[in-house]
Amino acid sequence: MGLIANYNVRSMLVRKGTAAMTAMGIAMVVAVFVMTLAIAQGFRATLVASGSPQNAIVLRKSATSETVSAVMKPEFALIETLPQIARDAQGQPLASPELVVIISRPRISDNQPANVPLRGVGPRAFQVRDSIKFVEGRRFTPGLREINVGKLAVGRFKGLSLGSDVKFGNVIWKVVGVFTADDASFESEVWGDVDLMLNAFQRSGYQSVTIKLTDPSALESLQAAIMGDPRLDFKVEREQDYYDEQSQVMTTVIRVFGTFVTLILSIGAMFGAMNTMYAAVGYRTREIGTLRALGFSRGRIVTAFLAESVMLALIGGVVGCLLALPVHGLSTGTTNMASFSEVAFKFRITPALLAGGMVFAGLMGAAGGLLPAIRAARIPVARALREI
Amino acid sequence: MKFVGLVFKSARRNLRRTMLTVFSVAIAVFLFAALRAVLDGFHAAAEASSSTRIVTIRSTSMIFSMPSTHAEIVRGLPGVRDVTWASWFGGIYKDPKNFFGQFAIEPESYLRMFPEIVLTPEQKAAFLEDRTGCIVGDGLVKQFGWKLGDKIVLKVGIPIYGREDFPFTIRGIYKAGSNAVDNQTMLFHWKYADERSVRPGEVGWLVSEIANPDQAPQIADAIDRKFENTPYETKTDTEKAFQSSFASMFGNLDLLLGSIAIAVVVTTLFVAGNTMAMSVRERTTEIAVMRTLGYPSHIIFFLIAGEGLLMSLVGGVLGASLARVLVTPSTFGGNSFMPPFGVSGRNVVIGVLLSALIGVAAGLIPATMASRLKIVDALRRAA
Amino acid sequence: MTMALIELRDVTKTYKRDAIEIPVLESVTISVPEGDYLGLMGPSGSGKSTLLNLLAGIDRPTGGSIRIGDTEISTLSERALAAWRARHIGFIFQLYNLIPVLTAFENVELPLLLTSLSKKQRREHVMTALNIVSLADRAAHYPRQLSGGQEQRVAIARAIVTDPTLLLADEPTGDLDAKSAGEVLTLLQRLNTEYKKTIVMVTHDPHAAERATHLLHLEKGTLVEQVGA
Repeated sequence: MGLIANYNVRSMLVRKGTAAMTAMGIAMVVAVFVMTLAIAQGFRATLVASGSPQNAIVLRKSATSETVSAVMKPEFALIETLPQIARDAQGQPLASPELVVIISRPRISDNQPANVPLRGVGPRAFQVRDSIKFVEGRRFTPGLREINVGKLAVGRFKGLSLGSDVKFGNVIWKVVGVFTADDASFESEVWGDVDLMLNAFQRSGYQSVTIKLTDPSALESLQAAIMGDPRLDFKVEREQDYYDEQSQVMTTVIRVFGTFVTLILSIGAMFGAMNTMYAAVGYRTREIGTLRALGFSRGRIVTAFLAESVMLALIGGVVGCLLALPVHGLSTGTTNMASFSEVAFKFRITPALLAGGMVFAGLMGAAGGLLPAIRAARIPVARALREI
Repeated sequence: MKFVGLVFKSARRNLRRTMLTVFSVAIAVFLFAALRAVLDGFHAAAEASSSTRIVTIRSTSMIFSMPSTHAEIVRGLPGVRDVTWASWFGGIYKDPKNFFGQFAIEPESYLRMFPEIVLTPEQKAAFLEDRTGCIVGDGLVKQFGWKLGDKIVLKVGIPIYGREDFPFTIRGIYKAGSNAVDNQTMLFHWKYADERSVRPGEVGWLVSEIANPDQAPQIADAIDRKFENTPYETKTDTEKAFQSSFASMFGNLDLLLGSIAIAVVVTTLFVAGNTMAMSVRERTTEIAVMRTLGYPSHIIFFLIAGEGLLMSLVGGVLGASLARVLVTPSTFGGNSFMPPFGVSGRNVVIGVLLSALIGVAAGLIPATMASRLKIVDALRRAA
Repeated sequence: MTMALIELRDVTKTYKRDAIEIPVLESVTISVPEGDYLGLMGPSGSGKSTLLNLLAGIDRPTGGSIRIGDTEISTLSERALAAWRARHIGFIFQLYNLIPVLTAFENVELPLLLTSLSKKQRREHVMTALNIVSLADRAAHYPRQLSGGQEQRVAIARAIVTDPTLLLADEPTGDLDAKSAGEVLTLLQRLNTEYKKTIVMVTHDPHAAERATHLLHLEKGTLVEQVGA
């Protein structure tokens, strides 16, 4: 095997132009594969990061997302008292009643109006969601018309930077702080005092309640407590599961699309690999005859040519991954159909995704090399030696 | 021309290789045409939008509503010929996965202002008469297997409409007369939804018909000024701008699909260029012989480049025709997030032109190699 | 003495390999009258093939002049040279070098595609050439369906189909058995005597050399003797 591998590497070097072109073809396919899946990965990671395993979200039973849920103030008062909710040093429950509405802001990139989620939160929201960190300014003061803006929203939409005045709900709000949230979707949102939002948008009640549990395992008992109370028509989900579900539709659409495109494209690249390998077999008919005469079995020949093709494809795979890598961390945005609002996220290339790209490249190489390798093994020894 | 025969004969020399190359170009052109079709689909509504319709939404965001009395105020403004309104209903048909657009409309004026909603006079009359009637697009009918007279029930999606389910009767099945209207939506009487709304008398947006498209900016401005500093401020824009903002919701599709299309073309260039280079290398002696016979280098160049062009064009025609036949609105049917799309004649032509470009580009280097060949060296190498 | 068809004066040719210059021909002066049948002999590496390539205008001398007919070919542009070859040179290779994807007819027709002849005229010319080499019945055959001798005769037909001024043959019998070689040599001789073609042939084969009217010996790039006939 050592000899064979060596032999194939040298053969590849002899035909370096052809080999390089084939590898580049495969590299392009792998790059497209990795990039499109990096979008799906990034989008999903952003939404999943929004949920914490220790948090739970309370929604009306029939609601599919927070925007179509409703929690009235008296109902919130009942929920707040549940013992499964963690409390702060002052003994106040860590539960945030929330309202998400969409406001229209022009995008910086194309000046088109985009749907920016505006989240009204309770006074203890920053303790419930402890991943929030301020990079500029400070938290809004409850009772004042102040807002905080996620870092990605500042970069994506016009007029949301620190100190700006923003008009919505017929009143003016001041941006007093910019925050990050460990890449979660909150970074695309605008936050303010939920009770002021209710007034500004003439709403009679909240939409959802996000709760910090005393312990992640307290979820079941909280579910039982809420389900058991006839006054409460709600369901409780772990926050992480809720956001995972919210990402499903979009992630699936991107994945299906990406797979569709790369699969079709890979057939083209495979044809290229096949051409190259057939040519490689053709050039080396005599060498193959010699190897066979020396006692190499057909199996060995098939293995050798398959190995060459796979090797070629893997080189392409590495190049493709390298081509795709620069998009990692680039931020972009799309509308999450589940909330009808725009979510900014970053392309995310994970080691698993790169490994997937390499496996994909290897498969393309194997599929492209198989027929030529079989052909090589079938060459009759005597005739091969006669050929020029 | 007499040399064309030579090109054909050369292409047939290694038939398997030629076919593999033709297929890879075909695949590339297929993908390219399909991607363009998707993109066109997203832009189709904006392209086909009417220049005499302008849309008024709440300035905060279109998810907020405004009083229906706004419509009467707008109707009184100079330059406005007609006004109608609609609201987003957001109901659930059996399962949230069955997402499609449902609009509560003011039926008479809406159908009057959207002649693109094509309905037989009998169905139109039946719909106007039935307060709980609805009309649905033929795309939706196909998706759910509905027929005229069917009863369908929507669960309430937005809490504003109470908790009780809404039953409807299908009174009409409309066809989309242009891309300006979607054939995967359901339209019903605004009054029916409004009766149960906790905020009665409110509408989602207004659509106004204006006499002169050139006056659109001035009229839009006049409408918005009318409601300035009221609790319900508005933002008015052309139908085209309104539709474009929907297309842009999905992110920078032009860039995404454009990048993929470039990757597709580059991949194919590598494959086709490689094939041509291999075939030139194998034919070194032959080319030297032809040069010895007195073939000038430019004819050699055109013979090789012509072969690349021929393979690509065959692939291009194959790929574009496949795309035309296979990629139709029903290919991705049942997915209402995507607008209906198909491969237009224009995209077929662009696809074929692209394949020609790939052929020329792929053949360029090998053909130059061949035409610059030193005859004596090439003959010696073979001997 | 009439004016010679081919005039070589002080022709030298050196090849550069890396930094070293390898002389292949040194100051060769030859004149060949029209209608001659010249045999070029010499050991491998003596420069005889190079000389033939220079005459064919597919290689260029490092120094000296080559006149064929009225044309000084060493100064022609690449393009003019190709056009000149098409008109004046018929080349016969040792390995025949027929195009495998073309039939015998199409192979012979190949040089005619460069002329302004009509399809019908081309057909007449091709059939005439194939008749001369007695292979008119094989017109539709592909090279792989022909024997080596037949292939070489098709190659000769291709060389004469344009009625060139000069026929050049590079070891035309080098790859053939004795019988086929005999046929090819007879054919060349007929072309010389019957059709008055001027022929320059490079060969190792004494049987082939016998048929020539003149012989030139090359050794290490210089002419060593001239044998009159």
